[in-house]
Amino acid sequence: MSEQILAVPDAIARADMGDGSVELFVDESLYPLEAVYGASFTFLDRCFVFLDRPQPGRLRVILSAKKLGASPEVLREMVGEFANELLACAWREKITERNRATIEAVTMQAIGGAMGPPSLDDLEDFDFTEEPFEDPLGIAMSWEEKYGKKTAPPAATEGDEE
Amino acid sequence: MRELRFPKELYLGEQVDAALNVFARFGRLERDEDELTWIVRVHAASAAKERRLAGELANYALGATIRARGER
Repeated sequence: MSEQILAVPDAIARADMGDGSVELFVDESLYPLEAVYGASFTFLDRCFVFLDRPQPGRLRVILSAKKLGASPEVLREMVGEFANELLACAWREKITERNRATIEAVTMQAIGGAMGPPSLDDLEDFDFTEEPFEDPLGIAMSWEEKYGKKTAPPAATEGDEE
Repeated sequence: MRELRFPKELYLGEQVDAALNVFARFGRLERDEDELTWIVRVHAASAAKERRLAGELANYALGATIRARGER
């Protein structure tokens, strides 16, 4: 029997106290399937998770307590934590999508670096005609140039003074 | 008897089969399918055992599906 133990409308989440489970309805336009999978995966050790798609664009997540007789508080906590995890997964998914090009570039550089120094043949093929690094503010300075000991100018000899 | 209906668009068939193989020794499992779902009927000694077996089987199938999709 379905009961409203959560402070949300039945269309979003509802509990079945008899079975110790909660149903959460997820709009796929807000939370992509990958985010639902991600959140579900983190809950597999805590409760039984079942996914269903009752209608296109709408997923149903059923979370059942592993032990029978779960209290309304336990079910409320379960659905709340799942909703938080779902939001975090959706946000991570969005960030990953947005930064995909950067991540790929950094990964390629890391893999390229791990492949070791270029061979002589690679250097021979390298295009050195590219413009040199521009430094209009003059901030590209090596540590030695900036903080290294300044060598004293050669001492003037007596002969020079005359 | 407890019936699980795994939507084909959310669960990979081979991972549902893998779950059936893993949990077959804990009860009697019947496999079936229709156009949209993989169907598993779970029979065990008591209703509580059926609930647990069905839950663990569903978790295994979901976890394996997510892992398999991630590797593709």
